[in-house]
Amino acid sequence: MSEYKELIRQFDKIRSYVRDFYVYGFKTREDFHDKSGRTYDNHRRRMESWFSDYICTDQKGHKKFVFLTMDSGRMAVNPLYQAWKSKTFTDNDILLRFFVPDLLADGQPRSLEAIADEIQDKYQCLLDTQTLRRKLTAWEKEGLIVRKKAGKQFLYSQAQPVSWSCPGMPKALSLAAAFFQGAAPFGFIGSTILDFWNERNDWFRFRSDYLVHTLEDEILLPLLTAIEQRSMIRMTVRGTKRHRITSVCATPLRILTSTQTGRRYVCAMRPDSRRLATFRLDSIEAVKILGEDPCFEQHGKKLQDTLPYVWGVSFGSSQKPEKVSMEIVLDEKTEPYILSRLEREGRGGSLKRLEPGVYEYTRLCLDGAELLPWVKTFTGRIRSFSCTNRSVSQRLLDDMNLMKSRYLSSEEEPVYEDS
Amino acid sequence: MKTPECSLFSELYTCYYQVVARILKEAADHPVTRRRIEDMAREYGYDESALSIAPKLLSGDWPFLKQEPDGTYGSVLKHPLFPQPLTLLQKAWLKALLGDPRIGLFFTDSQIMELNRFLSDVTPLYRTEDFCLFDQYGDHDPFSSVMYREHMHRILAAMEERRFLIVSYLSGKGNILTHSWLPCRLEYGQRDGKFRLYAMSVRRSGKKRIDVLNLARILSLKETESFCPSPVDVDRCLDQAMCRQPLILEITTERNGLERAMLHFSCYQKQVERVSETGTYRCTIYYDVRWETELLIQVLSFGPVVKVLGPESFVRQVRERVKRQAELFL
Repeated sequence: MSEYKELIRQFDKIRSYVRDFYVYGFKTREDFHDKSGRTYDNHRRRMESWFSDYICTDQKGHKKFVFLTMDSGRMAVNPLYQAWKSKTFTDNDILLRFFVPDLLADGQPRSLEAIADEIQDKYQCLLDTQTLRRKLTAWEKEGLIVRKKAGKQFLYSQAQPVSWSCPGMPKALSLAAAFFQGAAPFGFIGSTILDFWNERNDWFRFRSDYLVHTLEDEILLPLLTAIEQRSMIRMTVRGTKRHRITSVCATPLRILTSTQTGRRYVCAMRPDSRRLATFRLDSIEAVKILGEDPCFEQHGKKLQDTLPYVWGVSFGSSQKPEKVSMEIVLDEKTEPYILSRLEREGRGGSLKRLEPGVYEYTRLCLDGAELLPWVKTFTGRIRSFSCTNRSVSQRLLDDMNLMKSRYLSSEEEPVYEDS
Repeated sequence: MKTPECSLFSELYTCYYQVVARILKEAADHPVTRRRIEDMAREYGYDESALSIAPKLLSGDWPFLKQEPDGTYGSVLKHPLFPQPLTLLQKAWLKALLGDPRIGLFFTDSQIMELNRFLSDVTPLYRTEDFCLFDQYGDHDPFSSVMYREHMHRILAAMEERRFLIVSYLSGKGNILTHSWLPCRLEYGQRDGKFRLYAMSVRRSGKKRIDVLNLARILSLKETESFCPSPVDVDRCLDQAMCRQPLILEITTERNGLERAMLHFSCYQKQVERVSETGTYRCTIYYDVRWETELLIQVLSFGPVVKVLGPESFVRQVRERVKRQAELFL
């Protein structure tokens, strides 16, 4: 039986646990039935340690719930980045990580043997040259070490620190790293830059930030590589409803990110159906890059032509766009913000003033049902709604009737207040 | 660049290395005690890291410290540890940022040119155009505007110096306000692509308060010679805006509602429990009252999949809207 360690070897083993603890938070030990109880206990203990400031527990009967909770708008650095910083290492790894850069900091290139000898002399640390060679080769690939041939041997030196000519450059770089670590893809990398420079983010916060995205970054990286190489991929996808695992072959074209629902998707062309489709990144378990797709350009053009008719991420079941219309009532003097909302949130739909205080919003889209959540945000102002796909209009009507029965027929029901 | 050699999950970025680096930096500046080593391991590491890191350092298994005659510890390293050289992965990420329209907010044009030269042989980790923020609002801030960039640069400098600025500001009601503010924090909203400045103002009575200014509505800035001697605890001020009564939702599993709602509300501080009698879930959300309307709209977008159970004031707002809706076309 292996001993518990705070650090781990493989990230994918922990990904779903962090997600379940953070996004759901109501699961108990029994809900993680696909793993042994001991595995769950170890992962839970790790998470309690990694996220100690944000972990909470609750007890209901015999069942203990452990969950992660935080207001993302208050976070200077995404706490979930801690999961990326949990890679295990050996004693030799850490010795080399500190002694080799310290030795090479004088700028003098050295041979492998000279490095081993000097580390022994200066730090009284005996190193095996094979281990040292492997590490230097790995660091060369990572860009930390430069190797040059000199006569019959290779000399190693440290990648030189930059000396900037523009004034204020180090501060500007720190500020940029502090901002983009929370506002750009792969923000985790930005947080490691802050670590490497011993800096902190004291200045920026990020409102409505979906911290959980970082857990998908290991999937995102090969997807972007495939897009850049115009390649096809084979993905292992776990269904979000029935959790069935399937293997999908497709050509990825673009990453679609929702700033409002917390989901990220890859938009891809499926060769079997020759149709555009989207897959949620958190449902993709593995990506394998295949060969170049000779039709990449055409797929890209098709996506470009189709996107104006897509509201979110659904390309619908028919090729013909559906027409969605709604009439919104507002007080033009006191509620101009409603008009602003229609304009800035309407994603290219047209807006027409029908009469004072009544505006008609119209948009064509391949899947009218995708607009319904947005339409419902105007509850209380919708004078009429129609969609050429009648099932969409009917669904809104059914939902509004359900809302009516839930809220208006039960006015006498007690409301819950936290004591 | 996007090769398997540069893994995101790498030992190079491990938390333990950073903890050891910070301990060694302090030990290089002045000898440190055993207690200080343990405290730093707790402060910069995970909750249980001190149990692994401190014994390894103190026992000499990781021989980076030398014990002084007085029992304290100094570093055996000869050179400063920070800043550490960047890896290719980190450079590739920086190169990708050069394609981001917001990059000019942090650099001058000549600095951007120098950064471009420094990263000339690096392939960007990603291209901004490969991403589409399909539901971001259409009226994001004008990141490339000369005035907007200049305001950002001066605000960042003032935040660093804790310097008060005289700001002319176009309020939401169309009035021009001119006042002295201390810039404390910038907040970026991904949904609307806007920066908000959290700035402290001092009233004639001496009373201090935090105001929130939209960066795009700042008309002009002027540096003052007034400085704030200590950092402002913005979070403490914001705590006063937290709701007294949390929002309580009942979420059903219909139409994948639970999964959708959990992800949607994951950015809030929340607690969820299963109600086994009804097969539903009860979600308690703690929110900032300044954004209550935004939360209300988000809740309404779920329709009948989510029901508001409390607090009374929130339920009343939903009821009013549903009632108005019923009068309009139901």
